[in-house]
Amino acid sequence: MSTKEEILNRLRANVRETYDMPDLGFAKTTHDDPVAKFIETATTTAGARLIEVKPEDDLNELIRQAYPEAKVVSSNVPGIRADRNPDEVACAQDLDGTDVGVIKGEVACAENACVWIPQTMKEKAICFIAEYLVLIVSKKNIVSNMHEAYERIQFNDYGFGTFISGPSKTADIEQSLVYGAQAARGMTILLTE
Amino acid sequence: MDYPLLHVLHRDVEKQFCLRYMKIGLFVPCYVDALYPEVGVATYKLLRHYGLDVDYPEKQTCCGQPMGNAGFQTMAHQLVENYDALFQKYDYVVAPSASCAAYVRFFHPDITNHACKAAAKTMDVVEFLHDVLKVDKVPGRFPHKVSVHNSCHGVRELGLSSPSERNIAPFSKIKDLLGLVEGITVMEPERPDECCGFGGMFSVEEPDVSTRMGTEKVNRHIATGAEYVTGPDSSCLMHMQGVAKRQGLPIKFIHIVEILAAGL
Amino acid sequence: MSTKHSLAAEKFIQDSNRVTRHDQTFWSVRAKRDAQAHDLSEWEDLREAASQIKKHTVTHLADYLQKFEENATRNGVHVHWAKDAAEYNDIVMQILTEHQVHKVVKSKSMLTEECHLNEHLEKHGIEVVETDLGERILQMMKLAPSHIVMPAIHITREQVGHCFEEQIQSEKGNYDPTYLTRCARYHLRDNFMTAECGMTGANFGIAETGDVVVCTNEGNADMSTSVPKLHIVSMGLEKLIPNYEAMGVFHRLLARCGTGQATTVYTSHFRKPRPGGEMHIILVDNGRSSILGDEEHWQTLKCMRCGACMNTCPVYRRSGGYSYTYFIPGPIGINLGMLKDRNANYHNVSACTLCCSCDNVCPVKVDLSTQIYRWRQRLDSWGKANSMKKAMSKGMKLMFEHPALYGTALKMAPMANILPRWMTNVRMNAWAKGHEMPEFAKKSFHAQWKDLKKGGQK
Repeated sequence: MSTKEEILNRLRANVRETYDMPDLGFAKTTHDDPVAKFIETATTTAGARLIEVKPEDDLNELIRQAYPEAKVVSSNVPGIRADRNPDEVACAQDLDGTDVGVIKGEVACAENACVWIPQTMKEKAICFIAEYLVLIVSKKNIVSNMHEAYERIQFNDYGFGTFISGPSKTADIEQSLVYGAQAARGMTILLTE
Repeated sequence: MDYPLLHVLHRDVEKQFCLRYMKIGLFVPCYVDALYPEVGVATYKLLRHYGLDVDYPEKQTCCGQPMGNAGFQTMAHQLVENYDALFQKYDYVVAPSASCAAYVRFFHPDITNHACKAAAKTMDVVEFLHDVLKVDKVPGRFPHKVSVHNSCHGVRELGLSSPSERNIAPFSKIKDLLGLVEGITVMEPERPDECCGFGGMFSVEEPDVSTRMGTEKVNRHIATGAEYVTGPDSSCLMHMQGVAKRQGLPIKFIHIVEILAAGL
Repeated sequence: MSTKHSLAAEKFIQDSNRVTRHDQTFWSVRAKRDAQAHDLSEWEDLREAASQIKKHTVTHLADYLQKFEENATRNGVHVHWAKDAAEYNDIVMQILTEHQVHKVVKSKSMLTEECHLNEHLEKHGIEVVETDLGERILQMMKLAPSHIVMPAIHITREQVGHCFEEQIQSEKGNYDPTYLTRCARYHLRDNFMTAECGMTGANFGIAETGDVVVCTNEGNADMSTSVPKLHIVSMGLEKLIPNYEAMGVFHRLLARCGTGQATTVYTSHFRKPRPGGEMHIILVDNGRSSILGDEEHWQTLKCMRCGACMNTCPVYRRSGGYSYTYFIPGPIGINLGMLKDRNANYHNVSACTLCCSCDNVCPVKVDLSTQIYRWRQRLDSWGKANSMKKAMSKGMKLMFEHPALYGTALKMAPMANILPRWMTNVRMNAWAKGHEMPEFAKKSFHAQWKDLKKGGQK
């Protein structure tokens, strides 16, 4: 008997009573103005900067103003000026040294500032390896809570996606909050219409 | 037309009628019996004050919790059966000890492996006054500042107050009752329902953690500026009193029922 | 016959400032959790839902595991099954050998601690680099975690500074947490670039899609899996949940309970291997399928390792993680330790006042304190009961079963010579260590009853 069969048999033999999946229809907190709530959580607890993009704004200019000292920008977002492209680098390591990574979020959640980033590039390392991350998010895609967010998220052929809420954090040394543990040290959200 | 007074009167008449025929068994747990008989006396006087027929079956001893918590629940089996036999004839069994009442109500049926009539009717005196008698007056006058000790089993087993961990509407049957006492000032310590570290035989098996917890708890009570610590469990009070006395910490301890019945 | 926990706690408590620091650190996490819990009106609905989803899943686990395997395999992921730690370690080693791996970067996984994976890999010449900052500090200091979520919180910044000075050449005397975190960042960055394999645990497995979900604040699991081409997931069988609807419930609970945050920074969903890479999931039993058969303790399988029960436990906060004999401390650790090896871990069963706070913070409603009470009932039959407590209980049984004897004891003068021995054990002096003795009343309630009754009837 294989290990798998052995385990499955034991699991089946050891069940005495089965339980049904519960009804998850209880009332969930929603926000009258999810955009305002998202801006609040993103800029407070999540620790991100947020810029509301006006129709006449140039994204490249906003990014330059946000990170004037950046030497290496990496992105595959159409229209974004970048020095490296995560679709074209030979390996993930080639993205190391990126000062600013620019990526697009698809769904954003007001209750906790989570932004769903499906992998849309060959090397997803761009989402984590950059010193600073710029997230482009549309106001139209903001939902109230994670139940709604999980209903909306989509996977593509890359088969990877991540919710990111602010810059990388740690409090492992005496509980002192430090931004930029292993991944992005800071984040700017460009909130478009 | 509205007759608010009639409504009150009617309710009162109904209550009086029920109370007249209600028979109460008084359970005075072993350590209260031996160490704090005044708590039993106050309970008796208070119940009599509300016109209840109170009986004290003299063959009672202990609910079995000390053995159960120590890991010897089986040794409590006979005690539990005795308790059931002794108390099942009453309409309610009232005990001035939240932890013992909780043990009787929630653990006795598991120990005997059968439904226990007495266990189902056993209540701590606070919940009995609050939920059954629904008292809106107490005889006691107590012109002192007290700090409420929300003992663990009172809070998390009997539901005498809302546990701080849960997101439910806050309530406190203890504070409701104390609020009826003339002249009293009621405080709660920081971390209002953190354990004091008694835990029955925990205090002798883990004496260092127990003492440390007790010391912190007593100091939090003192920090409220209260003269007394009060609560529904003499066991927690005994533990904290022992710690306070050893360290010369300046605060007194009194069971809630002694305050409610003050002057009787 | 004191338990190892009580002896270790006695030592820990001697440094009063350390106890204060430890207690306040974890109490502050509990307070943050409370704030999150009180901020969501559906909080108790979420807990109930999470408990029921887990009950449902673990009682249909064989079906869900098969479904999970089918979906993961369809996604191009290799799924392995390990019945115990040895088989698990062998599978990992085999995959690493096939890929000629010399260095592994690892994100935090309690399962790998449980199976002692690192020691196994190091024995075979593989370099293992923990990438969670706390875990990395402990690895460099050759220490075990003292908490499952904040593993190195008991280490001071000075200790971290000294360790980094020696091992990664940080500036001498600079103990600033931001500076030290930066040093670790650059040190770990080098390792991410050169490792051939990234290993992660799994916070959740989604049966319906075959996804693995990993939550971190540092982004170390993502760094570990987006640079090396090989990703190995180690997952306990009980980590499975049915679908994304359930995931919404657990996502909202996990970080709120664990660290008092509304979310972890990263919640990553791995469905397929990355382009040109390989992904392996190892499903590990190591006793879990047997726990399911334990009527009194099967609900420990609902646990999602958030650590909330440790943070609220008044005994854990005052005795520290190392006072427990099992690598998972606190209420859930007491129970899991007993399920793993009761002879080694019965020492932890004393570390509980039965205050029931853990039951009320647990996001999946594991009946933690009830289970500890149950273990105590069984210790005697295994010869592991505390002989002093047993003698006291026997004495009480004798006295309390015989009202006449009890009555005599109450009446005997001076009572203090008889009763305290039973009730507070002066002989062993444990109570007297920190307490003054309670004073026995001159007249017990029993003795007062008849007079009282006469008076009361008037």
